[in-house]
Amino acid sequence: MESLRLYIRLVRLSMQARLQYRADFIMGLLNILALNAINLGLIGIIVYRFVDLNGWIIWELVFLYCLWLLGHCLYSLFFWHFWDLEEYIVQGTFDQFLLRPASPLIQFLGREVQYIGLADMAFAIAGLVLAYTNLDLIWDIAHWLFFPIVVLSGTVIETCLILMVACISFWAGRSSIAIDMIAEFNTLVQHYPIDIFGLWFRVIVTGIIPVAFMNYYPTLMLLGKLDPQSPSAWLGYISPFVALILLVIAAGVWHLAIRRYSSAGG
Amino acid sequence: MKIFWSFTRQAFQFIAAYRFNFFMEFVLVILRMYGIYWVWRVLYTQRPGAFGVSLDQMVTYGVMGMALEMFIWSRPQWYMANQIKSGAIDTDLMKPLDFHLYMLARSTGETLIGVGVLALPALLAAYLLLGVQYPPDAWTGLMFAVSLVLGFLLLFHLNFLLGSLAVVALDIRHISWAYFSLVRFLGGQIVPLWLFPTFLRVVADVLPFKGAYFIPISIYIGKLSGVAAFQALGFQTVWLVILVLLSRLLWGMAHRRLVVQGG
Repeated sequence: MESLRLYIRLVRLSMQARLQYRADFIMGLLNILALNAINLGLIGIIVYRFVDLNGWIIWELVFLYCLWLLGHCLYSLFFWHFWDLEEYIVQGTFDQFLLRPASPLIQFLGREVQYIGLADMAFAIAGLVLAYTNLDLIWDIAHWLFFPIVVLSGTVIETCLILMVACISFWAGRSSIAIDMIAEFNTLVQHYPIDIFGLWFRVIVTGIIPVAFMNYYPTLMLLGKLDPQSPSAWLGYISPFVALILLVIAAGVWHLAIRRYSSAGG
Repeated sequence: MKIFWSFTRQAFQFIAAYRFNFFMEFVLVILRMYGIYWVWRVLYTQRPGAFGVSLDQMVTYGVMGMALEMFIWSRPQWYMANQIKSGAIDTDLMKPLDFHLYMLARSTGETLIGVGVLALPALLAAYLLLGVQYPPDAWTGLMFAVSLVLGFLLLFHLNFLLGSLAVVALDIRHISWAYFSLVRFLGGQIVPLWLFPTFLRVVADVLPFKGAYFIPISIYIGKLSGVAAFQALGFQTVWLVILVLLSRLLWGMAHRRLVVQGG
């Protein structure tokens, strides 16, 4: 509880620091909106010409894209600076977090906020609303309860994966390129339904870097595309469990990394 | 010519120092190629021969687009923005070398290394694994090579213009990202222009971006040939001349402004 209060305080400070640069703030937001519009525009053009992509029509693809984005925006708001972790370690500035009597993770996380996540959020919500109406979806209470859980699971899955990969820099000194690698898998999973890809790719994004649980599998469930006869139908429901398992593993990796870092410094 | 080589050597040394990063970059390029390969494969299984190209041609288009990511890889505008922000641009300007030429040499060196170390090996892998095609004949190959060089120069000058803007705007990071996605979109790096809806096609057809990806790749796969290919090369040349003149003009103005600030 104490650390949560500390975290919120740190985040508020970072936010104030960010908001000092008003023009930068607005440019950043517009930029993210444009970026998403262009990405979806490309998919839109393809589907407009070919009618569907392996049975997915345009609004289903919009839903897939935006469900990923909604989970991702919370990550990009609060945890995006894992990408910079290597700089803290290479330059030795990470030591400051170890000297103070509070969790190093909380201190590091409270260091920055990326307001551009707000543009992602706005875009994702707008896209999901449009998809919902255009697909004539009518969800029952179970779907509505499942939806926010899926979004949060998405955030946890992405954050934990990137946290673990960022920890590589405690050993190797560099990690941002490995984060880019996760991001590349994410991009593919966000843009296209994974059923168009080959088997090994599907295995990787399901079992090894399980980013498909951020959008693909829950989308099958939420859009009623799950085939109840299929032996793999249960995958549509387990995103929260995947998130929990990753959370446990990531916590372990972080503690190992911190212990390793402290001992090397001594 | 000698300075081009020295920058190429410098870029190579940089890569040699960060071997792991470059190996990962290589894997990233392959991954992107793999992704686009499946997209076209699935779409062309749904509708074989759509829009007058074969599946093989379309896959080749997609994979080449990813290989030519190298063109965006060298980012003179970021170098310029950083130098201007930190004030280190002074030392660049003091060098006994025209700044525009200096940046060109730098970018050329970086791109040559990028092509040699990343694009060519990745393409080789794509030939073996994804069934990418060779150009239909030697003449097409030659036209492609010319178009490719023109495309690189086009993009370099667009970047250089953006970099000159940094003198006025200081922080071009955000504009830069929007610019990249615009180049990718209107340049036809991922989706070829012939699939665009009419109004977008009209816009993309007059802007220079299509010279960076769409024209060279379309020539490569044989979609653009004969007179149309020559016209496309002409289009690239005209835009290149315009952009070179604009670069000289804008950088001249920016340079004066810099000197005034420094004085």
